Amino acid sequence: MSLNVDRENTAFTFKGGMLPMTVMELSSANPEEVEAQLSGKVSQSPAFFQHTPVVLSVEKVDGPNLALERLCAICRSHKLLPVAVRGGGESAKQSAWALGLGWFPPVEARTHTLAPVPDAEPAVAEPVAAETLVAHGGRVYRGTVRSGQQISAPEGDLVVVGAVNAGAEILAAGSIHVYGPLRGRALAGIHGDTDVGVFCHELHAELLSVSGNYKRLEDIDPVLLGKAIQVYLEKDHLHIEAL
Amino acid sequence: MAKIIVVTSGKGGVGKTTSAAAIATGLALRGNKTIVIDFDVGLRNLDLIMGCERRVVYDLVNVIQGEATLNQAMIRDKRTENLFILPASQTRDKDALTPEGVEQVLNNLKDEFDYIICDSPAGIERGAQLAMYYADEAIVVTNPEVSSVRDSDRILGLLGSKTRLAEQGKEQVKEHLLITRYNPHRVDHGDMLNLNDITEILSIKLLGLIPESEAVLRASNQGVPVTHDDDSDAGQAYADTVSRLLGEDVPLRFHEAQKKSFLSRMFGGRR
Repeated sequence: MSLNVDRENTAFTFKGGMLPMTVMELSSANPEEVEAQLSGKVSQSPAFFQHTPVVLSVEKVDGPNLALERLCAICRSHKLLPVAVRGGGESAKQSAWALGLGWFPPVEARTHTLAPVPDAEPAVAEPVAAETLVAHGGRVYRGTVRSGQQISAPEGDLVVVGAVNAGAEILAAGSIHVYGPLRGRALAGIHGDTDVGVFCHELHAELLSVSGNYKRLEDIDPVLLGKAIQVYLEKDHLHIEAL
Repeated sequence: MAKIIVVTSGKGGVGKTTSAAAIATGLALRGNKTIVIDFDVGLRNLDLIMGCERRVVYDLVNVIQGEATLNQAMIRDKRTENLFILPASQTRDKDALTPEGVEQVLNNLKDEFDYIICDSPAGIERGAQLAMYYADEAIVVTNPEVSSVRDSDRILGLLGSKTRLAEQGKEQVKEHLLITRYNPHRVDHGDMLNLNDITEILSIKLLGLIPESEAVLRASNQGVPVTHDDDSDAGQAYADTVSRLLGEDVPLRFHEAQKKSFLSRMFGGRR
């Protein structure tokens, strides 16, 4: 019996979630420069700075003298809430934890573990390719994905043989292929992989996203609706193209 | 061994109770011993549609909580032999139902009846989930409009995951689509979704199509299930639906607009 009879007795449940998150990619570790630029931004769009959670990406500025604490203080004084640090070495990780922030591995390292690039050695190319397939762990779903359902492939591609109805959500670390009408939301590259796409037989999607760049149904050229299409990312822009 | 059929929809007001009453009546009229259970605790309606509201003493919650026996709570239908009603409580809420209690009641009824029809409350919460949990088959009631179709889609997702059959992983709840309030004229004008659009989105087998009809409103208010009104289009459509539920192959009716003849237009002939 799993009808959640004793729902009142559980204090919480853990759930996986994909939340939109602003990444503040630092290209300078100098607190004064960051401060100056932030002040300018606040006056441009004050609505954005309402305790918005941000992830500080320090990949480009990591070094022994990284003043993480100072940077966080500057963010907070401008009503940005640093919740985590991404990238950097061991010292960045330790100081993030000391500041009560989470730490994420750098983007390159993560995509690397997800999709190991075969070494340029032709002799071993074939076995490596076979390994890659296993490591990708894609998923094939047969049937209709219905409103309220969420189907995901946390590693690799997702193939749906059937319809994805309005109100349903499909997610994949890799590409998404729908052999049927796509009426719900499709999010490819959920771990930040940009070289992936969404492909479907009949486009009516509520939302299309590749690596966090998205388009809503309203933004989609009506000419493309009902067509077989592909969606891909090029220079940080989402392109939808008839197939 | 009875077959347990849940009548559900997600959305409210689409005709679940009307359909549950009409289908249960149809099954009983063909000699099947049938009971229809109102799971809409707190908002009971089935007794009104079945015209037995003055004979309710005990209800489903009383039985589950051991305050009455099943035989005390079951109401024998006056018009149809073989038909029984188990009403819902009006004074309690849906938390008064427990999965164990519902299972117990269904198990006790299973040996005695051929069909157990569960009239689900609207929504996707506890009450609706309990109504569908033990079902062998489901009749998903949909109106020809987008919000109703989407809610039905949601319910179909739950039928595929939150039922005993789905949890055991052996077989699926057999799903049937019942479209109600279908008006071919308004479909032709584009005011309503058409039959093919609905079946394409929901992709389950069509069990029946009930035309929008004055007979349904009349039946509800008189407390006589519309199946008894066999001159009416809705009554006939429910009879067809019951035939298909029993495995007969019956052609679809009432899905195309009838061209009114000159004479009927002249004299406003209307049934």
